[in-house]
Order: sequence, then structure tokens, then C-alpha cells
Amino acid sequence: MEEQLWQLSNPIVGIAIVVATFILFYVVSWISNRASTSVEDLYATKGGVGPVTNGLAMASTYMSIATFLGVTALILQLQVPFVILWIQFILAIPLITIIYGTSLRRMGAFSPTHFVRDRYGKTASIIAALWMILVCLMYALGQMIGIAVTFETLLGIPYLTGLLIGGFIIVGYVTIGGMSGATNNAAIQMVIIALMFIIPLGAIMKAMGSTGWYFPPLFYADMVPAMLEAMPSFFDYQYNTKWYFALIPAFTLGALGLPHLAMRVYTASSLKSARSAMIWFALALGIVFASTYTMGFAGVYFEQSTGTIIGEADADKITIILNLVYNPEWVTALVIAGAISAGLSTISGNLLAIGALISQDIVTTLKPNLTNKAKLRLGYVSIFAGGVASVLLAIDPPAFLIVSILWAFGLAGSTNAPLIIMGVWWKEANRYGAIAASLGAGIIYVVVSPFVFPNIVVSGHALTDSMGISGGMLAVPLSFLILIVVSYITNRIPALRNEAETKEVHGLIERIHGWSDINPKRYNSTVGAFIITFISAVVVIWAIMPWNL
Amino acid sequence: MDAYKKEVWFTILMSLAFVLTGHIGFLFTMFPVEGFFFGFPVMYIVPILFGWFGVLILTVVSGKIGNRLDEIIEEEDQQNRKKQSGEGAM
Repeated sequence: MEEQLWQLSNPIVGIAIVVATFILFYVVSWISNRASTSVEDLYATKGGVGPVTNGLAMASTYMSIATFLGVTALILQLQVPFVILWIQFILAIPLITIIYGTSLRRMGAFSPTHFVRDRYGKTASIIAALWMILVCLMYALGQMIGIAVTFETLLGIPYLTGLLIGGFIIVGYVTIGGMSGATNNAAIQMVIIALMFIIPLGAIMKAMGSTGWYFPPLFYADMVPAMLEAMPSFFDYQYNTKWYFALIPAFTLGALGLPHLAMRVYTASSLKSARSAMIWFALALGIVFASTYTMGFAGVYFEQSTGTIIGEADADKITIILNLVYNPEWVTALVIAGAISAGLSTISGNLLAIGALISQDIVTTLKPNLTNKAKLRLGYVSIFAGGVASVLLAIDPPAFLIVSILWAFGLAGSTNAPLIIMGVWWKEANRYGAIAASLGAGIIYVVVSPFVFPNIVVSGHALTDSMGISGGMLAVPLSFLILIVVSYITNRIPALRNEAETKEVHGLIERIHGWSDINPKRYNSTVGAFIITFISAVVVIWAIMPWNL
Repeated sequence: MDAYKKEVWFTILMSLAFVLTGHIGFLFTMFPVEGFFFGFPVMYIVPILFGWFGVLILTVVSGKIGNRLDEIIEEEDQQNRKKQSGEGAM
């Protein structure tokens, strides 16, 4: 069968629904952000967001347009291994909250780099901020590609036109909205995502003949025998233990370095509220994630059972294609609005993080005497500039939109996560270790990615390398290793020690854990550091051994 | 055990519990299981169920313990402050 052109035949309903959702988001942004007079308001909403709103906003920010488009595309290509890969992403907010989120919330940080500046000094924070900007841009790039693909299907226009129209509407929305708007909107968007993904999915399952259509996330077991007949290898794990282990450093630890996620923890009204938000996050994300696996399952089932060929260029559209095939066009229009909502909430988080990184972590660090008004204006300009940059990067996109997003996780894990985790839990971690780890591991991660030097890769398996799985397994533990070893050595060189600064840093670490005194025995375990060093060294060696994929 | 040790052990054990619950697929590659559960192959549905409900239960547990730990740290911190001010007065 020949490849088909997948788009709405009558775009007017679709455009009307998308315009209506945009108007809703603009109004919510405007109302929420009227009172934004300072940078604290813009990025952290004065720490006044309740647990339900915040939990839903966390889920929405995290879920991204990949939930609608990218995940199902890669389930279509990889089948079950990608489902297993995706499951662990739910760990991000719970791990951020228990490992360092509440500590940084207690400190009153705007962003992880704010902590890095107070903990390791200006140079380390500017290096970390530059990496984080790259992480956010790569993450936002995936969203922009998704937005362009959705507008392409919605309006029947070329990709580039879709990108420019969709991209600039969204950048304008985030710039006007700030964090208050983004948080309230993200919570609304979470509800829209859930409804516009799961209900149409139920209708698709019913049309496919599944009796469990009333609860799509889990009740599709009656389609399993038919799937096994159509594609016997669907449930195969395909890859070895090493591949599945590599998901831990690359993605689970990588997520701990994503600035736009961590910032959601700081918007909580209290530590208790942050912990409650994590429960709402897991509940909401679990429902949508499980439904995504069902959509991927349905996509593979559709392709195998009908003999329809979905080309690589259309793989990202599988959710929309299933709706076009099985549901009325107005339902597809709702799904498209849901996909745009998902992209919107994540881009908001990314651009706000870029705004905070440029205005707070770089410019204010270099020029601390800026007025509050100038900082706020600079924040808005940075958000807008970040958005324009992600639109420009999306002009020539990678084959799958999700690849750039996944690659960003490994970069965050190599350059940021070790600095924050060790900075919160180990007093010996110092600026020399942090700078060496962030620069060394970050550069190695970029070098071994196939986008820079296609011949220098870790596993030799194209998708594993381009998603940063193999690079993450090498660079993330290497970053911990460098940080610990360099800090340990430089702390024992008297010429490099600054007693006053060390005392100040020790005070900060005690304070963010809730202590008002300094006790040298706390957060100073050499044994703990040695164990992490040993495990990291073993993982690095394992990473450079043959992958046999 | 003092509050500091409780905090460290809570963070280590809870993090490990979360990582294992979210990576059941990794465990299955080392210890494969045949058979069906709930109509699906075990190695497909169990990671999905753990990755949703398992993680959800852990967030409830870790939230409760985390809140209690805050109180314990605050109590011990106050005691330390009293001790220090007592020593200072002597």
C-alpha cells in the first residue's frame, strides 16, 4: 500500500478549537500574571501554589508534546523496549523532591543554578547555567518540532510555515504569561491533555473491537492474542541487560538535572505541599503514560493488522492518524488541541527556565547591581529570545522529535545533576570539582553524541547513541567521579583552600537541611563518597566495553 | 539514631526503592519470567503497573516520612540550640 497524506480535510473546526484553547490560555496568563512585579513573582510565584495545582502542573510540564506524538512514534519503531524506557520517567519529580527539591525549596532558590552559585561560586554557576540553557533549548526544540507537525496536520500547510506560526504564537503566550500564568495554565492543560488523549483513545479501541474501551490505560488485554498473531515479536525485550541498565544514568539521573522540572518544586507553598504535589504528579502522569502505551500498542496493531505503511516522516503523527481513521474529524481536532496544550506547557517551563538562567544566573551574577525593573525586563527578553532560538533550531529537525528531548536528559545528567546532588549531600564537594565535572563530562557527552562527530560514538547502535543512552551511561557516572576525586584532592591542597568560604558553604548545607548549627560530622561522609566513586568507575568501564546490540 | 542519620538513610533507601520500582524491566532482563498476568505478558504489564501504582504508593509513603523527618530535625535542632545557649550561659 502506498503512503497516505494524513491531515484534516476540513480544518475550520480544528482551527476554531485551537483558537479557543489559546484564548483560554492567554486569559488565564493575563489574569494570573497581572500582579507580577518582581523576578520572584515571575519565576516562583512567591512560592504560593497549592499541591493539586502544582502536582498537575508538574505532570503537564513534564509530559510534553512527546506524550501525544513522539512516544507513540518510537513505540511504533521499537515496540516494548520503548515502553520500558518510558516507564521510568515517572520517577523524576519524586526523586527530585526527596533528593534535593525540599532542600532547595528551604533555601528559597529560583533555579538549580541559584543553588550552584551559592554553593560553588560564580564561575561554576555560569558554566552550569550555559549547559542548562542548551538542555532547555534541546528540550524546547522537540516541542517546537511537535507543534509544527501538529499545525502541519491541522492546517495542511508546510512544516516550516507551521513552525513559524505555531512557534511565535507560543513564544508570545509564554512571554506574556510568566510563571503564574504558566502554572495555572499547566494545570488546566493537564486536564485537557488527559481528556483529549484518553477519551478519543477509548473510541479508537472500541472501533478496533476491544471490550475494555471504557478504561484505555489498562483494559486492552483482549487485543493481546490478535497482536501476538499480527506481530509475534511485539512484547520482546530485544536488547540486553546493559541497555536497560543504561536508562538509569541517562534518563533517571538525567531528569534530576532538568532545571524546568526542579523549578516546579520551588513554586510549592510549603515543604508539605511539595510532597503532596508529588503524589498528584504520580497519579496524573501514571494515567496518561499508561494510555500512551495503549496508543502505541493500538498504532502497531493498526499498522500490522491493516497493512497500512506509516512512513518515518509520519511516525510522529500516529496518534493523530489513528484518530483520523477511527474517529470523526472534530474529535481529531480536539486531540490536536490537546497535543498543542501539551507542547505549550512544556515550552513554558523550558522558556521560563531559560529566562531565569540568563537573567538571574548569568547577567545578575555578573552585574549584581541591576534594578528590580531591569531584571524583570531582562527576564522577559530572555524568555522571548530562548523561544526564537528554539524555533530557529527546529527549522532542520532530527527524524524523530523525541530524540532531541531524550538527548537533553543525558546532558542534564552529565553537567548539572552531580553538582546539585553532591552539593546538597557532601560538604567536601568544591568549586574545582564542580567546574571540572561539569566541563569534562559535558564535553565528553557532546563529543560522543552522533550529532557532533558521527564516528565517535559509544555503542555503535544508531538510536541508542542518538537518544543519549550510551553517552549518558558513560558521562553521568564520569561526572560524579570527576567531582568527587577533584574535590577530595583540591581540598587537601592548602593553597586552594579558603577557610571563610568553606565555613559559609558548610553553613549553607546545614541550613538547607533544616539545621541552624554547623556540625562537621554531618553531610561529610568519606565512605559514602568512596562508594559512589567506586560504583561510578565500574559503570564507566562497563559503558566503554562492547554493547553487543 | 539521630535525625541526621535518619534523613540520610531515608533518602538512600527511598531513592533505591523508587529506582527499582521504575526499572522492573531492567530486573526482568536478569530474571526473565514467562506467563501472563491480567491478560498481558508478565514482563510487559508488571513494569507498567509498578511504574504507576508502585511509584504512587511510594510517593505517599515518602511524603509521610519526609514530613515526619522535618519535625524530627526541627526538634533536634531546637534541643541543640538550647544546649548551646545553656553552655554559653555557664
